[in-house]
Amino acid sequence: MSFEPRIVGFLCNWCSYTGADLAGTARMKYAPNVMTVRVMCSGRVDPGFVLDSFRAGADGVLVCGCHFGDCHYVEGNHKCMRRIAITKRILKGMGIQPERLRLEWVSASEGARFQEVVNSFTEEIRGLGPMRLKEWAFVPEQVEAAAAAHGE
Amino acid sequence: MSTNRLNSPAELAALKQRLEKNRNANKTVVTVCAGTGCMACGCEAVLKTFHEERKKDRLENEVEIKATGCHGFCERGPLVVVHPSGVFYQRVKPADAKLIWEQTVKGGQLVNKLLYRDPQSNEIIKHEKDIPFYKRQMRIIFGKNGFMDPTAINDYILLGGYLALATALTKMTSEQIIGDVKKSGLRGRGGGGFLTGKKWATCRAVKVDPKYVICNADEGDPGAFMDRSLLEGNPHQVIEGMIIGAYAIGSHEGFVYVRNEYPLAVKNLTVAIKAARDYGLLGENILGTGFNFDIVISRGGGAFVCGESTALMASLEGKVGEPRAKYIHTVESGLWDKPSNLNNVETWANVPLIIERGADWFASIGTENSKGTKVFALTGRVNNTGLVEVPMGITLREILYDIGGGAPRGKRFKAVQTGGPSGGMLIVEEAQPKSHGSPVAHGDIRNENEAVNLLDLPVDFDELTRVGSMMGSGGMIVMDEDSCMVDVARYFIHFLTEESCGKCLPCREGLVTMLSVLRKISAGKGTMEDIKYLEELSQVIIDTSLCQLGGSAPNPVLSALRYFRQEFLAHVVDKRCPAGVCKDLVSHAIDNTCNGCHACLKSCPTSAIVGEPKRLHYVIQDKCIQCGACYQICRYNSIKRVKRGEGDKLQERAREQWRPPLKKVTAEVS
Amino acid sequence: MDKVKIKIDGQQMEVDDGTYVLEAAKSISIEIPTLCYYPYMVPYAACRICSVEARSASGWSKIVTACNYPVWNGLEILTNTPRVINARRTNLEMLMASCAPVPVLQHLAEQLGITEPRWGTDKHTCILCGLCVRICDEIVGAHALAFVDRGANRDVSTPFQLDSESCILCGACAKHCPTGYIKMEEIEKRFIVHQEMNLSPNAAITLPFRQAVPNVPQIVRENCIHFKTGGCMVCSKVCPKDCIDYEDSPKSEEVEVGAVVIATGFDSFDPTPMKQYGYGKYPNVISSEEFEVMNNAAGPTGGKIVMENGEEPRAIAILHCIGSRDHDYHKYCSRVCCMYSLKFSHLVKEKTSAEVYQLYIDMRSFGKGYEEFYGRILDEGVNVIRGKAAEVVPSGYRQHEEGHLIVRCEDTLIGKYREIPVDMVILSTALEARRDAKEFGRKFNISTGADGWFIEAHPKLAPVSTTTEGIFLAGACQGAKDIPDAVAQGGAAAAQAMKLMAQGEVMMDAAYAVIDEAFCSGCKMCNDMCPYTAISFDDAKKVSVVNSALCKGCGTCVAACPAGAIMARHFTDEQIYAQIEGILA
Repeated sequence: MSFEPRIVGFLCNWCSYTGADLAGTARMKYAPNVMTVRVMCSGRVDPGFVLDSFRAGADGVLVCGCHFGDCHYVEGNHKCMRRIAITKRILKGMGIQPERLRLEWVSASEGARFQEVVNSFTEEIRGLGPMRLKEWAFVPEQVEAAAAAHGE
Repeated sequence: MSTNRLNSPAELAALKQRLEKNRNANKTVVTVCAGTGCMACGCEAVLKTFHEERKKDRLENEVEIKATGCHGFCERGPLVVVHPSGVFYQRVKPADAKLIWEQTVKGGQLVNKLLYRDPQSNEIIKHEKDIPFYKRQMRIIFGKNGFMDPTAINDYILLGGYLALATALTKMTSEQIIGDVKKSGLRGRGGGGFLTGKKWATCRAVKVDPKYVICNADEGDPGAFMDRSLLEGNPHQVIEGMIIGAYAIGSHEGFVYVRNEYPLAVKNLTVAIKAARDYGLLGENILGTGFNFDIVISRGGGAFVCGESTALMASLEGKVGEPRAKYIHTVESGLWDKPSNLNNVETWANVPLIIERGADWFASIGTENSKGTKVFALTGRVNNTGLVEVPMGITLREILYDIGGGAPRGKRFKAVQTGGPSGGMLIVEEAQPKSHGSPVAHGDIRNENEAVNLLDLPVDFDELTRVGSMMGSGGMIVMDEDSCMVDVARYFIHFLTEESCGKCLPCREGLVTMLSVLRKISAGKGTMEDIKYLEELSQVIIDTSLCQLGGSAPNPVLSALRYFRQEFLAHVVDKRCPAGVCKDLVSHAIDNTCNGCHACLKSCPTSAIVGEPKRLHYVIQDKCIQCGACYQICRYNSIKRVKRGEGDKLQERAREQWRPPLKKVTAEVS
Repeated sequence: MDKVKIKIDGQQMEVDDGTYVLEAAKSISIEIPTLCYYPYMVPYAACRICSVEARSASGWSKIVTACNYPVWNGLEILTNTPRVINARRTNLEMLMASCAPVPVLQHLAEQLGITEPRWGTDKHTCILCGLCVRICDEIVGAHALAFVDRGANRDVSTPFQLDSESCILCGACAKHCPTGYIKMEEIEKRFIVHQEMNLSPNAAITLPFRQAVPNVPQIVRENCIHFKTGGCMVCSKVCPKDCIDYEDSPKSEEVEVGAVVIATGFDSFDPTPMKQYGYGKYPNVISSEEFEVMNNAAGPTGGKIVMENGEEPRAIAILHCIGSRDHDYHKYCSRVCCMYSLKFSHLVKEKTSAEVYQLYIDMRSFGKGYEEFYGRILDEGVNVIRGKAAEVVPSGYRQHEEGHLIVRCEDTLIGKYREIPVDMVILSTALEARRDAKEFGRKFNISTGADGWFIEAHPKLAPVSTTTEGIFLAGACQGAKDIPDAVAQGGAAAAQAMKLMAQGEVMMDAAYAVIDEAFCSGCKMCNDMCPYTAISFDDAKKVSVVNSALCKGCGTCVAACPAGAIMARHFTDEQIYAQIEGILA
């Protein structure tokens, strides 16, 4: 039985959520692994949400927002990008592969893109394997070993 | 330079007195005419000789040598007059100068060969005033030329110069001056003949400042050089006139627009203006009266049209010399749209005389409507060419014969052209031709009341206009039987086509058209239609031209047609040029009066003349290019200009007698 | 101004002192011919054609030029005496002798009864009227031309006959030259009939287009002489109502509104890149918009359907789906082209006797009466060919007549390749979004879709609203549509806007942010973050405060607050954590 990634998706209400909606109304097929949480703007996404998602057992986190210039709240996506960049570094420091967090811009008409993003991310996480964070104790040596094992 | 400044009329009078006192009336003064005409004949070398001789003999204190303005008798230049005796020498060469120095100046003797010999009576005449050329003249303007060095203001003051100015500025009001000029009847001497006093009054009445006075010295008529000689010889009189005029009109700025082709006039005028300024006669506070006036010299660029007042003003402003319509007169709006009073050089020169001697005196000279004198440039086929100043009303006969001395080389007078390219050809034929039989036909009685010849026409503004010419600036060109009227008309039209500014259609296109018609007639290809066309076109050009260049351009043609219609018809119908000028219509031929002197043969450029010495010569018709050299040189009047193609008829005998030179024959001995 | 009494051709009149005769005559409708006169410049009086006879009561008379002769009291003018006619005729004769017989001279010649000039041989076209020189001098102020030389050699030229740097290419000299001696070089290549789409490059005052509202001309600054040299201003001299204001400039006004309806329309697809159809290359290949202009009665041909050479076409092909339904250009269908193509064929059949061919993929006649109209067209004998046209080639290619076109296509209904010879090809071009739509949308926080049309709030349920409150869409900017649909949408958008306005109260979104004073440390990090400047700092309390009216509820400040003092209502951290728990449980 192949591993089915569990991915939490934070979608901004105006662009990516609508884009996902569009994918739906257009009957596009995409992997069911992404479970969406709607936020008003990708700028709402607190790094805490990302970490909490991993803590709660997610194998990957997808954050989607509007393309630059299209943010309904003008610049929320800019702030999101900065936060996600820092969050990735934090993840790396914590021994979590930064690839497990992905930031994508999907606009309201890009149903096809949403489909493509979800599918490709799912496959990528599938390739990376399960997180098994719950199984880890917070042991520095173990973390180091795990990091070494992944060639960091 | 304030030491020279004359701060009041009293000082001027005092200066004159001083000069008079210092002058030794018995001192010998050798005056040499240094006008452009005599310059061209070499008077500078004559002057140099005199100076050298004087230096050699160390007589600097005893003898004065003066280079004066034009004396007027240009035919006989260089002229030397020795004072106080008033001996008049003519055609003086540098070598002759030496003779004069030795014999007359030092020795008190006459040099007979240099004295004037009357061609008719063969008498020798010693003194200028007795010479016929001068006797009939009334040289109220030009007279001073012979006595003064134009670059020496003291000479002018000695002769009474600037006294009129002093009187005008201190004892007369502007209205009085204008009144005097009006009363004198002075009319413009540049060609228009407009009443000068009226012009001044109109200009004065315009309530606009500043006002300008302008002197038109652009003398453009071919053959006219009166203004040149006046500016060269007596510029102060013109300046004085301008200052008086400016005072009368209310102007403080004056311009002299002189054509650039008069370098000596420009030079002498510049010197005179500077001298006048030094004396306080120009510039600020003239003669201490508080009146300011100064003169600027502006030179023309070489356009005849700039003699027209509006074109002149445009040129003064620095624009292209193009005339404009004169519906609004220049006295109201002229130079830089300000009131401008423009007068000719000679007009200005008359003003000091009127103020000095009175309007009544001036009005006593001349005819009823043309007062005063006029300077004419008498040129052409007349014995005594030069500048003549005569009272208005004198007849053409007197000018041509008494002053002019008749026609040279025994020819007959045919026409007199007055007024330059704007004037007309007037017929002046004698009653009894004493020609050598050239078949010449002149004149035509257009209406019974018109005389066939105008020799007795009194010369004044209105008379000349009445007969189809005009006074113009004073050019008077005399033509004899060897002048072809068609050719002369063509010459003037050609001149005007080159000088036309080109702005308005009738002048620009019309004159070119007239020129081609006249050329056509001259070439023997004319038709009666062409003559009719010339007359029609002339009327339209006169009616519709923008300025008077075009407006008067047809005058030579119209007057030629009026008085010499037969000559035109000869060209058109007979294909013959009676005067023998139009090359395509003439054949040169030698008749049986030929002496065989060989002179023509030597002069022929195409070797078209053949003949043995002492035997009849003849002209090979095919080779002859009608240059006329033989005609000029033959002393026996044997060369005839006959109708084209009829040359050989005259030369039958000559051709029969002609034997080509013998060739050497060598006999063959068998 | 004093008035004077004068008489012209027997008619008494009173005019201001100093008026020129020509103007006085014009005011009582007496026409005097002129060549070198232009009303807004100083009269030049060089051509002498306006010569008239001036007489005084005292008896003298003379010929004067009417254009610059000022009247005076008691003046009598005669414009047609034999002397005057002769003067005019002779002058014109001389002019004709030296100038080529250009129309303006021939017209005058006819009036004056001249056939051939009696004299002269030179033929050059310039009549030296000086209009070009004087306009460049007096009105334009560029001083690039002048007269050179004098007399018969007088000519008009630039300094040293070189290209003048002062010339501002305004074209005034060429426009006023009566003989065509001065020409402006042609820049545009498209010819007369179809040139209207490219309005003349030299027009400084134009109607932007024929149906402009308001229908008044405007000054095009780039072409206006006044803005280049400071001169001219002839338009303001002519305008009787003094309407011209050179200082006028586009003004920006700030208007506070509560609702905006965006109805910015569409652009037409430019078929030039589709080389196979030869648009811009072959004559008589035109776009549908160009055909509309030509067909319009107020258009360049007055409504006649003609080819570039002015002749009527014998056959016209209308090509559907140019740029629409095309993988390389626009994948969508432009919705309106089928119907207007049918309309075109109807018009062509009405106005000409041309054969019409419709080359289509599908005939989309979806609306009320549309299918019936299609049927009518078929009855009119229009040839419908099912098969998109492949290529348009010039007809010289296959030894048919030169100068015409051949349309190559596959007629799929009969399964044959066809070459159809026509005289004109009309390309039914796609409708596409305005080129600046995306940028324009950003101002209102609305976005455009993949095809460039603005995105509506919901494609089925809210076609006129957008995701931004108060911004509505109407017409083709939201998607290609025809007139009835656009009108309906317009009404709908207006209704939505009115609903907002009628509301007295506006319902706000419940999702906004609130700051808990107790937790706020006053670090002010959130103040600058807010794109709506909804957060301000209360100096007294030393805490930040959110203005709930301005707050849109994006939540950016929430994520940024280091103290967690800000709460996003309905999207609190707790709620989201709970969602995460729930998902991954």
